[in-house]
Amino acid sequence: MATPNSLLEGENIYLSRSGRTILSNVSLRLEEDDFVTLIGPNGAGKSMLLKALLGLEKIDSGVVRRKPNLRIGFVPETINLDPSLPMSVRRFLTLSKGRAPLQDDIVQETSVEALLDVPMTALSGGERQRVLLARALHHKPELLILDEPAQNLDMRGQLNLYALMQKIYERHKIAILMVSHDLHLVMSSTRKVICLFEHVCCSGEPQAVARDPEFISLFGEDMARLISVYPHDHDHSHDVHDHTHHDHSHNEGKA
Amino acid sequence: MIPDLLPLISGLALALIAGPLGCFVVWRRMAYFGDGLGHSALLGIALGLVLDIMSELSILLVGIGFAVFLVILRQRKLLAIDTLLGLLAHAALAFGIIAMAFMGVGEVDMHDYLLGSLEGVTATSSTILIIGALAGFALLIRIWPGLILMVTSEDLALAEGVPTKRYEAMLMLLMAVLVAVSIQLVGILLITSLLIIPAACARLFARTPEHMATLAGVIAAVSVTIGLNLSSTYALDPGPVIVAVMISLFASTLVFGQILRRS
Repeated sequence: MATPNSLLEGENIYLSRSGRTILSNVSLRLEEDDFVTLIGPNGAGKSMLLKALLGLEKIDSGVVRRKPNLRIGFVPETINLDPSLPMSVRRFLTLSKGRAPLQDDIVQETSVEALLDVPMTALSGGERQRVLLARALHHKPELLILDEPAQNLDMRGQLNLYALMQKIYERHKIAILMVSHDLHLVMSSTRKVICLFEHVCCSGEPQAVARDPEFISLFGEDMARLISVYPHDHDHSHDVHDHTHHDHSHNEGKA
Repeated sequence: MIPDLLPLISGLALALIAGPLGCFVVWRRMAYFGDGLGHSALLGIALGLVLDIMSELSILLVGIGFAVFLVILRQRKLLAIDTLLGLLAHAALAFGIIAMAFMGVGEVDMHDYLLGSLEGVTATSSTILIIGALAGFALLIRIWPGLILMVTSEDLALAEGVPTKRYEAMLMLLMAVLVAVSIQLVGILLITSLLIIPAACARLFARTPEHMATLAGVIAAVSVTIGLNLSSTYALDPGPVIVAVMISLFASTLVFGQILRRS
């Protein structure tokens, strides 16, 4: 049963492609006001999990539940426009399956005013990410889902993007689910982290996750130590309850 | 007067749908599919003769069958799409020609089917063409926003609830309808160019998809008008003349565009 303020939840998701297990017994729940980051090594199935939750990839078994009529803003990893399709940023922002007028406040918030008449194909990596984000926000989403939004950005671009995400999270009061590689940035900013490697290895607040044995075995002792020195402003007295450790074997579900 | 106007009105109705639909053919790389549909139309005409039904209907049926076979074969993922298209299109063409020979269709009639003919345009065929074009146009407008989202990014469209498989099927159906209703006027061989040349021309100037579709419609309408005029004046086959006009327009816009960019 979906709890009242649950937006999106996956239960016991199994997914394999060409005989290879990609997701094994993955469960997670997103509620209003959640800011969750999905981390994990390359090939851990992070993007696949997002796509399964979005309904873009079929799962072998398990359930995905959405709040009825949930408005999702999706920011894909990248977007490859066919050169034969003329698309200005202005037009791209208003793309939707219905009608969506341009919203000045979002344009300003994401600093894309100067780009409105530029063709999509002429944008730099950072500009493209801001435009994708701005478009997703045009639908007044209740949940924003981002797939590796900072992947092709330089350090400064990454910092700016995460700062912008934080601002959006606070101002729009929406839930965010994000896949990320940038552990150092994630660990210092987001509220909840889910560490994925075929299954949910561990989840909880960044500091707690960084101390988890499975996290350490995935990312190494050095990374764990590096992360746990990052300062952050949450109250940790409830760590023990918040932090759940999922003791699965990596081979589960393969038989 | 009225017999002269019939082809023109039909041609303009055709341009109305060919312009925007042609953009999707260009954006989604469906040109070979259009060719395949055109080739399969010959089998459709033969089927129409055998069953004694209207050729538009039989062409549409064979066109839909062509699309269904293609979708099924594509799902097996063993052969590339161009191989499958070539295979299906030429199978339809070969069997179509053989069937036509058995039905005793002469060379003159065959010629008309391949290249179109003004004499073949009757009040009935014009009515069917106009109804088909208007219905197709109405459907295209209705699903337009979702279609544009789909050609921009399949993932975005799916995530936001666009039924992409159904839309894809609708595009194929629209093309099959267009081929079925326009064979009489422009013929089998050149039907794809009617779709892609105006769109290619419009791409040079357009900044948004809507802009490109509108412009393609205008270019198609102008080409059809000039082409049909030349065709009736010089007693030439309408299909090749319309395409020749379109190509000339494309070439001049290309040159014109270069000059504009230089200055």
